[in-house]
Amino acid sequence: MNTDILVQGILKGDYRAIARSISIIENSGYEARKDIISRIYPYGKAKIVGITGPPGVGKSTAIGTLAPLLATHGRVAVLAIDPASPFSGGAILGNRIRMQAALSKKGIYMRSTSNRLYNGGLSEYTWDIVKVLEAAGNDFIILETVGSGQADVDIMNIADITCVFLAPGLGDEIQAIKSGIMEIGDIFVINKIDREGSYLAIKDIRESLNMSNKLETPVIGVNSLTGENYDEVVKSILEIRPKNPREKYYKKLKMVVMEAIYNEYSDYVDRIEFEDNPLNEDPYTMAEQILVRDNKNFGEVKDR
Amino acid sequence: MNGKSQKYTEAPVKVLLAKPAIDGHDRGIFVLAKAFRDAGMDVIYAGLLPTPEEVVDTAINEDVDVIALSLLNGAHMTAFRNVMEILRKRGVNDIAVVGGGIIPDEDKPALEKMGITGNFGPGTPLSVIIDHIKFRAREVRKLRENEY
Repeated sequence: MNTDILVQGILKGDYRAIARSISIIENSGYEARKDIISRIYPYGKAKIVGITGPPGVGKSTAIGTLAPLLATHGRVAVLAIDPASPFSGGAILGNRIRMQAALSKKGIYMRSTSNRLYNGGLSEYTWDIVKVLEAAGNDFIILETVGSGQADVDIMNIADITCVFLAPGLGDEIQAIKSGIMEIGDIFVINKIDREGSYLAIKDIRESLNMSNKLETPVIGVNSLTGENYDEVVKSILEIRPKNPREKYYKKLKMVVMEAIYNEYSDYVDRIEFEDNPLNEDPYTMAEQILVRDNKNFGEVKDR
Repeated sequence: MNGKSQKYTEAPVKVLLAKPAIDGHDRGIFVLAKAFRDAGMDVIYAGLLPTPEEVVDTAINEDVDVIALSLLNGAHMTAFRNVMEILRKRGVNDIAVVGGGIIPDEDKPALEKMGITGNFGPGTPLSVIIDHIKFRAREVRKLRENEY
């Protein structure tokens, strides 16, 4: 594998290199991933716009309208995630159909990936893929989650701005004051505003935001097919400063560090199931023993 | 979380299904999409009426292993050739192309010569198509491992 050529391609913004390195990140395991990310790491400063919401509210269609508008303010890339089948592991990545026409006209890079059965609305390597897209010189990265349930809030740790998409008729004001996805929105967008009940939906969300003293959060009704009110969405995305970026940044970083550490220890962990005899220790003691042993080594290295 | 180093050749096959001409008969391609999903592949469908350029753009952006082209309207000799020519123009030699649809036997050698294999007609068992796509994908991934 020639990572040098790949990394050069990424930094130049070459679509083939970007696409190939995303595949390698997804498929080739820890070492290859580390190789790519460690070389591109400090590059890039993109605003990451997360798009989340229940299935069928029109997230993908909305990106088809939103991405070309954002493209007038800088380079845009789109990453869309679709669910994998829990039975076969396969996936139908259907996001692309909804935005194809708009994207190919503007030359916007768009990639769809399967979540590979990872919970939380994103895929396991979303952070790494976003880093690649950032390094490729994009100013905006639109990140679409799997059609999400109420508890799929991982997006808030990766996105700078989270747009929660909803449609009329999804529930009353009790739904709107529930925790989970309704709390993470920096912008609320009510899609399909031409449908009946859209103004009630806007009212319910405004009321619940008022109750939690977040009335300045924009609630925008849009129509993705006609593009109605999308200028407001774009304006909000450009104006809103990311909330606690420092905290988010370190949270993301810690997640990846954690995974790298897990990877280091996975050999031990995998070995557990191959030992035939019944285990004498409970899992907590086992974990402690591994850590104590390694800390001793660590101490020796430091003493030298 | 899977900490083990996977091999690139063993990851799910990524396949793009496309009808690169004016042809709205998409029942067959939906059946294939679902069968490929059930065989554990990542499936992208290019939607109705994409141009050959869009098909190639999508294939490059998504880094698919196989492009599966289907046409039932008899335009395969023109449309499939367009796709192959655009691929060649962009210097892409590591994406496999397979074909299918209403393809007369006498056209098959010409398509094979362009590099489009399979060329399955109606009535082909799904398992035959799936095996062929997996076979082509394996070839392509071996090629890629040497490349990067």
